Amino acid sequence: MADERSETPMTTDSHTIREPPRLLIPIEVLEGESISASLVEFLAPAEVVLLGYHDLPEQTPTEQASMQYEEKARTAIDDIADSFRGAGGKVETRIAFTHDRDQTVDRVAAEESVTGLLLPNPVGEIEEVIVPIRGAIDVDRLADLVATLLEDGSRRVTLWGLAEEGDEFDAEAAVEYTRNTLSERGLPDDQVSTEVSVAESPVWDIIERSSEFDVIVMGEGGPGLLASLFGDPSERIAEGAVAPVIVVRNR
Amino acid sequence: MGTSDEAGGQNRAGDEPEEASTSGDGETTVTEEGSELERSIGLTGGLSIGIGTMIGAGIFVFPGLAAGDAGPAAAASFAIGAVIALLVALPASELATAMPKSGGGYYYISRALGTLPGAVVGISIWLGLVFATAFYLVSFGSYAAALLSEAGVNVAGLPIVGTLALLFGVVLTVVNLVGTENAAKLQNYVVGLLLTILVVFLSYGGLDVLGVFGSESTPEQFLPFGVMPVFTTAALVFTSYLGFAQVATVAGDIKDPGRNLPLAMVGSVLTVAVLYVATIFVATSAFGSGRLATFGETAMVEVARAFVGDAGAMAILLGGLLATVSSANASVLSTSRAVFAVSKDALLPTMASRVNLQYGTPHIALSMAGGPVLVLVAFGRVEVLAEVASFLHLVMYGLMCVALIAMRRDEPEWYDPDFQVPAHRAVAGTGAVASFGLIAFMQRESQIIGVAIMIAAAGWYKYYAGDVRLKGAL
Repeated sequence: MADERSETPMTTDSHTIREPPRLLIPIEVLEGESISASLVEFLAPAEVVLLGYHDLPEQTPTEQASMQYEEKARTAIDDIADSFRGAGGKVETRIAFTHDRDQTVDRVAAEESVTGLLLPNPVGEIEEVIVPIRGAIDVDRLADLVATLLEDGSRRVTLWGLAEEGDEFDAEAAVEYTRNTLSERGLPDDQVSTEVSVAESPVWDIIERSSEFDVIVMGEGGPGLLASLFGDPSERIAEGAVAPVIVVRNR
Repeated sequence: MGTSDEAGGQNRAGDEPEEASTSGDGETTVTEEGSELERSIGLTGGLSIGIGTMIGAGIFVFPGLAAGDAGPAAAASFAIGAVIALLVALPASELATAMPKSGGGYYYISRALGTLPGAVVGISIWLGLVFATAFYLVSFGSYAAALLSEAGVNVAGLPIVGTLALLFGVVLTVVNLVGTENAAKLQNYVVGLLLTILVVFLSYGGLDVLGVFGSESTPEQFLPFGVMPVFTTAALVFTSYLGFAQVATVAGDIKDPGRNLPLAMVGSVLTVAVLYVATIFVATSAFGSGRLATFGETAMVEVARAFVGDAGAMAILLGGLLATVSSANASVLSTSRAVFAVSKDALLPTMASRVNLQYGTPHIALSMAGGPVLVLVAFGRVEVLAEVASFLHLVMYGLMCVALIAMRRDEPEWYDPDFQVPAHRAVAGTGAVASFGLIAFMQRESQIIGVAIMIAAAGWYKYYAGDVRLKGAL
């Protein structure tokens, strides 16, 4: 599915998107989690897969929970799907009962070959998007995503390169490369600003600045000791930040 | 019963059997409405359920009791148990890979042999697990009391074992009612720790007995009481092998069930069997069976003290606490699943499969596990609890073997197991005969209680759900 799409570039107006972005939105649907109207409107240009999941205690067999909650979960996720359709978006829905949320999200992300994953947080009007760049990131996917979401011209994106002290990572070059790729995808230069800083702890720096922006778009980050101890950086950021986080998946 | 392949009929409350899930692959089951049910337990998790349920009884409770009854030949009793367990584990594995659903033995028997045997097994396995849980809790009480007296608390003359067991039974039930997130992971570590303690201890003890350190001990007569006690002891200690079928009760949650279910069931039986036989060998060599018997349920603590001193005694005490807790907890969870499987088929009020709105746990099924356990704990006789639990499980095991033969004969269209028992007639036939045969060696009291429970289960079925049809319905 994904391959077909990437082989047939879609041309709209002036810019070329290589691979139309496809976002997975996991929603803990029976906990009343939802997606605000402004976020729906912001995400609607992308294809969306809504995953309504219910994370069960170990005592409860998934089958048992599904017998009781399936209809309720379906109604709730269909309501959210309708709001995306109302905003002109393409949307698919899935329901899952699980004992392991991460396993389910990873599996569905792979099956649907999504380019990104939304970690929801409350948000108001969306005007400013920040893209912290801390290392290897799939710039093609990132650029497709950002260019698509910002295509109506009313929003701005800040590319923020973060290098750690003594790090080999050339933040400046990465930011420049991203800016060029965005421009190739047809995003006008005046919607993009860039900055670079040296960070002691990128995760904390990003969380601290999150209040200045409305949405964070970032890469997955590789596996590492810290990640296995504290969880993925993106998840830690989503936990601490006041903005929703879109994680661009590595290929 | 009818020959239709649809579950049907109504119980007294007007409920029909629910058919929830239909298709799926190694990672999920998909319900008729298209919802996905994630399978989240891997091979390690499956092994840990099997070993965690079994190891508590065989190592930490029975050595003293068994040696008192059969002498060093108690090792042979454990070996007999292992052979029977393996003969049942193989057919159970095949059935489980053909029907990887929660409910285990009850499910296979009701589908292969019909509703009456299914109902009798379903209800008696619920109570069988209740007896097993009570047995584990009383054993926990013995270890907790031993720990207290080790710590210098004077508890002479108080009914301390029963009190501690009751208290802990309440704690366990409440914890499960509230729901846990990471208890399964914790269980994996606990089982790992237990295996480590045991392997170190048994290797040391084994080498010591063989004369590597110090002097070789003179072996006592292998069969001091003759052959008969070997079989009655096998019937008693069979409770140490009840855990492997608990893996099948969570079959709906196991990843890649075609591979992992047989490996987990057979692997856990083999693992504990080796440890049990080695334990009896070391324990009887250390003390002689007569002396060992006087130590009762916590005999292993004294064995460890003899080999490694007080540190060893503490390690085994800790091990005994962990092992009995993990057995009791695994059994409570299996009980709740067994109740769910039966009530889903409308053989018990469907109320029992309700999920609590606040905690998200199946509170009624869990209470039906925890509540009767407390009553039995108060009753408190370890050997009868253990034998009744074994009795009810053995009936299910024997019928599972019969179910396998019936399935292979009928070969319904949907019957497509990933794992096939070689020489299935011989294996399952012997398994059935051995399972039913072992029951004959139990105490009269246990046999009477077991038969009474089965008759009551059949009566309940006739009264409550006589019209329900399950045979052949996947």
